[in-house]
Amino acid sequence: MVNLFYYIVEYFKYSPKIIQLLWASSVVFTLIIIGLSIYLNHIRIRLRAKERIKAVYQKKYESDLIEYLYSGNGVDEISKEQQIIIDYLSNCAKSSLKRKIIISTLLKLKDEISGEIADAIQKLYCQTGLVNYASYKLKSKKWDVIAKGIKELAQFEIKDALNDVIEHIDHPKREVRKEIQMYLVKLFRFEGLEFLNILTNQLSEWDQIQLLEILQKFENQHIPDITKWLESSNNSVVSFSLKLAKIYNQYEAKDHIINLLNHSNQEIRIESINVLSHFGDIDSLIILKSDFNQRSIEEQVIIFKMMEDINEVSDIPFLLEHINNMNFDIKVSVTKILKKLKNSEANDSRFITTDIEYSEKTSLIKAS
Amino acid sequence: MNLNTSGLIIDLIQYFFIAFTFSAILSYLILAIISIFENRHYMKKNSFVNYKDILSSTISPSISIIAPAYNETLNIVENVRSLLSNHYVNYDVIIVNDGSKDDSLEKLIKAYDLVKIDYVINNQIPTKPLREGVFKSTNPAFEKLIVVDKENGGKADALNTGLNISPNKYVACIDVDCLLLEESLLKMIKPFLETTDSKVIAAGGVIRIANSCIIKDGKLLDVNLPTNMLVRGQILEYLRAFLLGRMAWSKLNGLLVISGAFGLFDKKIAIEVGGYDTKTVGEDMEIIVRMRRHMEEQKIKYKVAYIPDPLCWTEAPDNYKIFISQRNRWTRGTIETLKKHKKIGFNPKYKSLGIISYPYWLIYERLAPIIEVTGVLYFIFLIVNNAVKWDYAFAFLVLAYLFTVLFSIITIITEELTYHQYKKKGIGLQLITTAFLEPFINHPFILYANIKGNFDYYFNKDIKWGEMVRKGMNKASD
Repeated sequence: MVNLFYYIVEYFKYSPKIIQLLWASSVVFTLIIIGLSIYLNHIRIRLRAKERIKAVYQKKYESDLIEYLYSGNGVDEISKEQQIIIDYLSNCAKSSLKRKIIISTLLKLKDEISGEIADAIQKLYCQTGLVNYASYKLKSKKWDVIAKGIKELAQFEIKDALNDVIEHIDHPKREVRKEIQMYLVKLFRFEGLEFLNILTNQLSEWDQIQLLEILQKFENQHIPDITKWLESSNNSVVSFSLKLAKIYNQYEAKDHIINLLNHSNQEIRIESINVLSHFGDIDSLIILKSDFNQRSIEEQVIIFKMMEDINEVSDIPFLLEHINNMNFDIKVSVTKILKKLKNSEANDSRFITTDIEYSEKTSLIKAS
Repeated sequence: MNLNTSGLIIDLIQYFFIAFTFSAILSYLILAIISIFENRHYMKKNSFVNYKDILSSTISPSISIIAPAYNETLNIVENVRSLLSNHYVNYDVIIVNDGSKDDSLEKLIKAYDLVKIDYVINNQIPTKPLREGVFKSTNPAFEKLIVVDKENGGKADALNTGLNISPNKYVACIDVDCLLLEESLLKMIKPFLETTDSKVIAAGGVIRIANSCIIKDGKLLDVNLPTNMLVRGQILEYLRAFLLGRMAWSKLNGLLVISGAFGLFDKKIAIEVGGYDTKTVGEDMEIIVRMRRHMEEQKIKYKVAYIPDPLCWTEAPDNYKIFISQRNRWTRGTIETLKKHKKIGFNPKYKSLGIISYPYWLIYERLAPIIEVTGVLYFIFLIVNNAVKWDYAFAFLVLAYLFTVLFSIITIITEELTYHQYKKKGIGLQLITTAFLEPFINHPFILYANIKGNFDYYFNKDIKWGEMVRKGMNKASD
């Protein structure tokens, strides 16, 4: 064995430099492989242990929480049993893992219930000092920590943190700004949308859907005047307010929306047609028909979609003009509308010319 | 040729192999480093996204799932049920029965109360004609389902039929036997809705191997590591490709391929470029290259997004015959795509697509197996001529092998620190063992399949898709 070792050392010593480099690299790689294998084993054990601990503590905190909720004397008084639980949870919250488990347990229950019990959970969140940890996150230099802090404060509806949250309104990271927007809307509902007045960045479709989903959870809310947003120079704000107009039937904003039919952005023009279609507005249809040929093909398709719902017999000449339109969607819409108007001429082959494929499609529609 | 000249040639050949090997290693390392940083960034960015709220949103955009099926009678009913159980609200499922010779259609009709309907199809992309027609269910529980029965035209043709039929702005093209996780559609649609500074034309997700996993009622209940070493090797291979490869390409906006098993597309762009190419067996790669080329030529700022979350689980070949056939097809697909779009290669007009992605794919995907086999043949030539410097050769082989193992272990650690799917005790050691064995168990067959793919491409033009015999994930076993 010793001889083999000496042989290897000698071989290495007298080998060319390149061989020495290769073997040295192999030794380094081998050591790294051994080190990483040990590390892998360690992280797998740690992750499994973490999950076990998580499950145990989650169960424990759930039962503590239920005990807390049902051992109260009254709305404002804290019973002795409750105080013991508050102290215990405050103590546990010093550990970041346990804090995360307590928060997730509180949120889990908060999402499932409402009313007084939900208020009690929010109160417990403050009493245990968890709110301070979330507020402290807002002072972090890491954007993801700030965003998580804001999210948590929004989840537990901590309105008092507004000033600290607003400080980050111009944060360079989009995720932080997004969490602030959600915080504002979740806690201050439609009033929270005031940020749209000063928004310079684009509000993505994803953000818009998220905000609308939050707003739709609130019932019987006063809808603010959306017309200023419809006139915004930020296209995403205009787009968002058009969605608001549609969902909350803001018919009074109709004239402003009609103005948007000539907006420089095609997407906004299309969304405006959709909203006016949703309103069933005949005036706007007259405008759209008057300058139909100047509009893009995408707008023309939407105009005909609109006409599928809003139509009258006097539209027939306009429809017949487009029965052989090159665009498939327009052709289908025209046929549908004509069928709806029970115009026997629509089935007349002279309008369908010699387009065999189209003839087949028309017969399919007739059969449908 | 005198001794000096032949010696010089041998030296040049050796330098070429060394340069190629080290450049390959360097490129893998660079991609891995970018991927690790990008994975961390993705995890951070998405750790506080609440998908549940949007999942149930009725204002979220509508998506069509297009799933071609050919002779899938064994699992078609369960697979469709799995696709129908997605939690996303606004979606429909279009099953395109591509001229199956078995009773797939009859089974679907019976299981889902399907009736033939008249359906207006906008044939924007030419496809094979319908056979039995279009079917919808009379049962409101299956209102999202549309079944199209058409003449056989291959996977690409079936997907094109789905594109023609889909009424939605976004289409998810998937393999019918894929298991989509609950949030998969939402996670895939997110980049399309989130990106405001460029147009997202397509998004691809991570494909995970479901062999030996427990699946019930379309839900993944338990993740297991198969005992079959070929499948284990593929698990490691997929992890390397998806976690330490594509993530980096996504960051560089140079992704050339989205797995055919699950990809989401902007339908308008997909149709504008003419849909899937029916003449290639690598239609999943080809359509992405064509869409990217189209966007570059139109000078529109665009992005192909990539989602590193495990979103889709599928069955991998568990025997060498099917494995080789699959890799053979992938090779032919790569050759066909690169050849068809050779105009973009090394062309600065196509920016990173032309000067980074295409050359990388050409050198390290298309030519790498050929160079490797040439190296093996050269080595044999040297042995025969007694010209091998064994100390050099041995030191090189050991180093190359150790690098492969090391790279795989880094992949396993990345997986553990990010998505941690293989939680059970003992799997860590099994994965490390696989990292050591995979170069002997999988790699030689991949190399063989690549070479055979090259041979078939040039000398056996009639060969098309190989048959993938499904065992069915519900009954998955080794």
